[in-house]
Amino acid sequence: MTQPVVTLSNVGMVFNTGSNNKTVALKEINLTIEPGEFVALIGPSGCGKSTLLRLIGDLIQPTLGDILVNGKTAHQARLDQDYGMVFQAPVLFEWRSIIKNVMLPLELRGYSRAEQQKQARALLSLVELTGFENHYPWQLSGGMQQRAAIARALAIQPKLLLMDEPFGALDEMTRERMNMELHKIWQQTQTTIVFVTHSIAEAVFLSTRVVVMSARPGEILHVTNVDLPIPRGDHTREDPRTFESETEVREWLRKANKKTINSAVER
Amino acid sequence: MISLKRNLPAILLFVAAIVLWETLVRVLQIQKFLLPAPSVIWESFTTNFDRLRHIGWFTAQEALGGFAIGCTAGIVVALATARWTLVNETLMPFAIAANSVPIIAFAPILNNWFGVDNPFSKMMIVAVIVFFPMMINTVRGLTLVDPAAIELMRSYAASEFTILRKVRFPNALPYMFNAFKVAATLSMIGAVVSEYFGGNRSALGVYITQEAAQFRFQNSWAAIIVACMIGIAFYLVVLGAERLTIPWHSSVRGARA
Repeated sequence: MTQPVVTLSNVGMVFNTGSNNKTVALKEINLTIEPGEFVALIGPSGCGKSTLLRLIGDLIQPTLGDILVNGKTAHQARLDQDYGMVFQAPVLFEWRSIIKNVMLPLELRGYSRAEQQKQARALLSLVELTGFENHYPWQLSGGMQQRAAIARALAIQPKLLLMDEPFGALDEMTRERMNMELHKIWQQTQTTIVFVTHSIAEAVFLSTRVVVMSARPGEILHVTNVDLPIPRGDHTREDPRTFESETEVREWLRKANKKTINSAVER
Repeated sequence: MISLKRNLPAILLFVAAIVLWETLVRVLQIQKFLLPAPSVIWESFTTNFDRLRHIGWFTAQEALGGFAIGCTAGIVVALATARWTLVNETLMPFAIAANSVPIIAFAPILNNWFGVDNPFSKMMIVAVIVFFPMMINTVRGLTLVDPAAIELMRSYAASEFTILRKVRFPNALPYMFNAFKVAATLSMIGAVVSEYFGGNRSALGVYITQEAAQFRFQNSWAAIIVACMIGIAFYLVVLGAERLTIPWHSSVRGARA
């Protein structure tokens, strides 16, 4: 048996939003993610999917339950730099050139400058940004900036990649191309990916499993197994199984939204 | 960087203003003690050039010294406030309040403390004037950081000190250069005006007041022009340093395009 990359058991998260106000963001989350999986988290706005991602990354700590990453506590995994993170915004430092941005995590690990440059060049070629090494972030389009951010996240060769709506700000065409590229990167690096998204099509196209979450308090409503053949490509979008999986996810999302309406009525 | 074509309207306006000034003074026969003609000021400037250069340099040194002391202190305190929140919460309200106080009003008192003749008294006034904008801007730059950038650094298990070095400090540089620009202008004003309350005989501000007291206003005017030139030169040096240091920042990019 291989060790799961992420194990969430009974995870709950309560935010103090005022003196006597408590917001229950997440409730009884149980999820196990195996090596090499691509898991999408989808749900209504404010359902806590980004919170869940930050919990796995130990950027915030849960009020209840246990989180294990690579068999360690999430905290230890963060200290060991077991994961890479990609945010909705590229979060590139404007005072660093593209290659220097990608070199940052390697620099923090104390690699030699030559080694940093060698690895960064290889990563930039992986995300097809060769030739833009010495450009500054503001000289690149949004899609290219996000590719640089992915290269940076991959720099430490993480076993786990946490992605928080990385293509949310991109136009539809760019997003589809980026999905294709991310799919290739996932295959090449065999990294486990947890991916937060709003888009059903994106979730189904990329994932091996789609986790549908309910509105606040966020719970896992349903997990759709996507058994589309890998590698995926343009043919995948026309595969009837894509349509089936999308429909399944859509129906569960509808239930998730109904819960929102009901709870609004109760209040 | 500076194109003649783009600056031509400004140059023409300057020349036109000088010509108009000269003409009005001559046609309306305005008394010299009210408003000397540019030609008269220029004559005073050229005949007294050696003395003006000497006293100009004397005051410029006070401004530079005060600038260096005040800016260094401002940055050091700002770094301390960014490191220890308690320092920040204790000091910031006072810093913001002090920033709106006319510090130049303390000039006679600092003259008394450090000696009227001692250029150090002027440096201290300049340092105090420059300190607050420097500190407040640096604190802003160190704290107004994209939260995602901090999260990114934490995902790399970076220490607070590493975050300061790699994120907060570079993020603060544009804010600091804004403060340097303000401080460059303020330091020359501070040095000259504090000399109005008394100072060394070879100081620009002292020369301006003494010549004015003896109705040799063209000499005061010439000295004021020297003060302006030093102030502008100081500002341009800071501007140049900004372009060299933070070529990546949007303000510099815009100016270059």
